[in-house]
Amino acid sequence: MTLEVRDLVVGYVKEVPILRGVTLTAADGLVTVIIGPNGAGKSTLLKTVYGYLKPSRGTVLHDGREIAQIGPKNMLREGIAYLMQGHSVFPRMSVEENLELGVWIFRGNREAKQRAFSEIYQRYPRLAEKRHTLAGSLSGGEQRMLEIARLTMTGPKTLLLDEPSVGLMPKLVDEVYEEIGRLKKRRFTILVVDQNVKKSIEIADYVYVLKLGENSHHGPQAEFKERLPEIIREWL
Amino acid sequence: MTTWSAVASADWRLSTLRVLKVAALLALLVAVPPLADNPFITTVFISALMFGLLGAIYDLMLGYAGLINFGYAGFMAAGAYGSALAWFHYGVNPWFGLLIGGAITAVLGFLTGVISLRIKGLYLALMTFFVGEALRFSISNTPDYTRGMLGLTVAPFPDMLGISFSRSNLLAYYFTLLLLGAVIMMAMWTLVRSKIGVAFKALREDELATESLGLNATHYKLLNFTIASFLTGVIGGFYAHYLGILSPSPEEFGVPRTVEVLTITYVGGRGSLWGSLFAGFLLIGFQEYFRGLGPIRLLLFGILLIIVMLFARRGIAGLKKYVW
Amino acid sequence: MDLAMYTDPSVLTEILLQGLVRGSMYALMASGLSLIFGILGVNNFAHGELFMIGSYTMFFIVATLQLPFVAGLVAAALVLFLVGMLIERGLIEQLRKRAGRDWLLDSFVLTIGLMILLQNLALVVFGSNRLGIPEMVSGSLIIGSIIISYERLIILAVAALTVLLLWAFIRFTAPGKAIRATAQNPEAALALGIDTMRVHTYTFGLGAALAGLSGALLISIFPAYPTVGLQPIVKSVAVVILGGLGYVPGAIVAGLLLGVIEAFAYFTMSAGWQNVLTAALVVLIMIFRPYGLFSSAKGERP
Repeated sequence: MTLEVRDLVVGYVKEVPILRGVTLTAADGLVTVIIGPNGAGKSTLLKTVYGYLKPSRGTVLHDGREIAQIGPKNMLREGIAYLMQGHSVFPRMSVEENLELGVWIFRGNREAKQRAFSEIYQRYPRLAEKRHTLAGSLSGGEQRMLEIARLTMTGPKTLLLDEPSVGLMPKLVDEVYEEIGRLKKRRFTILVVDQNVKKSIEIADYVYVLKLGENSHHGPQAEFKERLPEIIREWL
Repeated sequence: MTTWSAVASADWRLSTLRVLKVAALLALLVAVPPLADNPFITTVFISALMFGLLGAIYDLMLGYAGLINFGYAGFMAAGAYGSALAWFHYGVNPWFGLLIGGAITAVLGFLTGVISLRIKGLYLALMTFFVGEALRFSISNTPDYTRGMLGLTVAPFPDMLGISFSRSNLLAYYFTLLLLGAVIMMAMWTLVRSKIGVAFKALREDELATESLGLNATHYKLLNFTIASFLTGVIGGFYAHYLGILSPSPEEFGVPRTVEVLTITYVGGRGSLWGSLFAGFLLIGFQEYFRGLGPIRLLLFGILLIIVMLFARRGIAGLKKYVW
Repeated sequence: MDLAMYTDPSVLTEILLQGLVRGSMYALMASGLSLIFGILGVNNFAHGELFMIGSYTMFFIVATLQLPFVAGLVAAALVLFLVGMLIERGLIEQLRKRAGRDWLLDSFVLTIGLMILLQNLALVVFGSNRLGIPEMVSGSLIIGSIIISYERLIILAVAALTVLLLWAFIRFTAPGKAIRATAQNPEAALALGIDTMRVHTYTFGLGAALAGLSGALLISIFPAYPTVGLQPIVKSVAVVILGGLGYVPGAIVAGLLLGVIEAFAYFTMSAGWQNVLTAALVVLIMIFRPYGLFSSAKGERP
């Protein structure tokens, strides 16, 4: 599934657009990374793709289908999953209950639910161990794993990851990126936004730079790996 | 005429116009009751003015400092019973009783402010609600002192300056209230335009930011609440001697009463003293005049509040530009 | 106040029992309010009027249509479920679209307007007569020197059962989990495909149904009249604050606790003072434990 954004104009308040005509493509099965200085609008872009914000101009296409107007609650059914910035586990519910909500759109279909569950517990044995623990009492890293696992349960084709490593200790950051690497091997289409430029570019296939709500450079990962220090210097 | 002087003279014309409008309204207030020479009209005007003032005082707390007092009727009771009991048990002159009512209510306001320093918004509303209810129930549970639900009879004002204040001379009461009201409105108006008023507004917007600017939020919260309570107590005292009988029922000093004043302030527009005064006058005037309609009047109150919350969030003050 | 009385176990038991009956009433009334606050962030001050509509429904079904009591209970719950959904879609949702950052306060004031509207609508339509029904069941249970009327026992039983079912529904069923998810993180819930707007509507309906059921169940104690909702709302708000705003199990336990405390107060002080006691308790809790009795000092719930 290819995700395309064309000429997107979005703002929280109509008169103040955060994105001023952004265009990008997240190609099928590849990891596309968006980097840029603070306030560039990277998170706003993901929120708009997922329907939390309606663009005043431009389109969002998923596999050729126009999705800008369908709203966040219809996205999983469309095959796109979203890892929100910050905490998104349901803290006063158990790990298992969180995962149950991960397959909310499968309700009524017991087989699909069973399959999704057995698969997820196989892939993430640590979550299986802690299935009855309250999600709020898990460590930061474990919560992130739960969030990522919950994301993939319904078999989406495309993943949007908003600052997956923010607030985590370096060791956990590595773990999260190892996980993203595994997701990459499973051929998800992944669109990542992260402050941690070094780590995100490492796993990227393609990179976009966003500045002040507009496209700056973009290109395959190889181009960016060497030019990294000078790009970052540009922002400062 | 140069552009500049044209603008200046237009401005001058605008503010003269405004002064004229205010003067006209004031003239109506002063002239209508005596000219109508109808006791019913006078009682309507007294109630309307009283609630207009209460609405404005309530707005001092709500619209200017963002403090919502959902136990307001209890504060009114403090003023009313304060003055009444001072007369009833200790023979205090009702004129002086007004100050006593004000003082007692001010203390109540201060104490309430002290215990709710850290509490804001909805939670402050609920806290003040229970304070008000506690006071009301205390009054009704001490019939030996307050006559409780049996009702406390209160003397009218004694004659002063040769004017009779027997309850047949309603005009005397009206003009007393008008005078009192003018003083109160002037005082509040001066207050909100002073530096203290600016601090109040800052409090309403963002308490945290206020603190960071070095303003002591607690200090201003207490000041606002105490002043507003004092003024409420004075009106409460007037109410007691005007009405002649007090009882701590819910309709008189409970939730329904607080809601009346709150509705007036919301409909008049939070943050506009004159808007609340106007709204109170209008709403209660209408309600009293059409007393025969019964519960339909209050029904309209409820609908009005809903409409204001959904569609006219700035109240009458927001519509000012269309009519004023 | 004869302290010797307190050492008499039958007296204590009777007070306790009366307290639990009263408490179960409070728990039932307050659970709906707590649910609505927890999920929608609305401190529904019109909750007492929803109670009132339940009372009138019960009267209509049982006294006018001469149908059995159970029919009245069911009808009240259903009617209020619908009314609740209408209120949520027609008013609350409309405010949500237009409100700024003062949601808690603004929605509260909106419900105040609703309260006045419903009270006076009832007054206009039904008049101020108190429409009561004598008890569902007559007679009393006598154990030793303890006397409890069967009526009160039924109230206790139905309230307890309802509260239990409510708890089970929220805890174990899929819709219950969707409700909890919406309360804990609405954006995440939306991302997983949960229709949070629909959750809001159904939850308000459920909360209203609980209020209506209370009104119907308690009709032998609170007959149907326009302002019958005033006492229930005050008690419910007190219970919800004591139990922790939005924490339903807290409201249930707090309701029972308040019932018992009031029963003791009723026994020792003269009638009116229990209300002052309740008010004082609430004020104290708001000062020292603003998140309710069951939160840790940090304000987190268990």
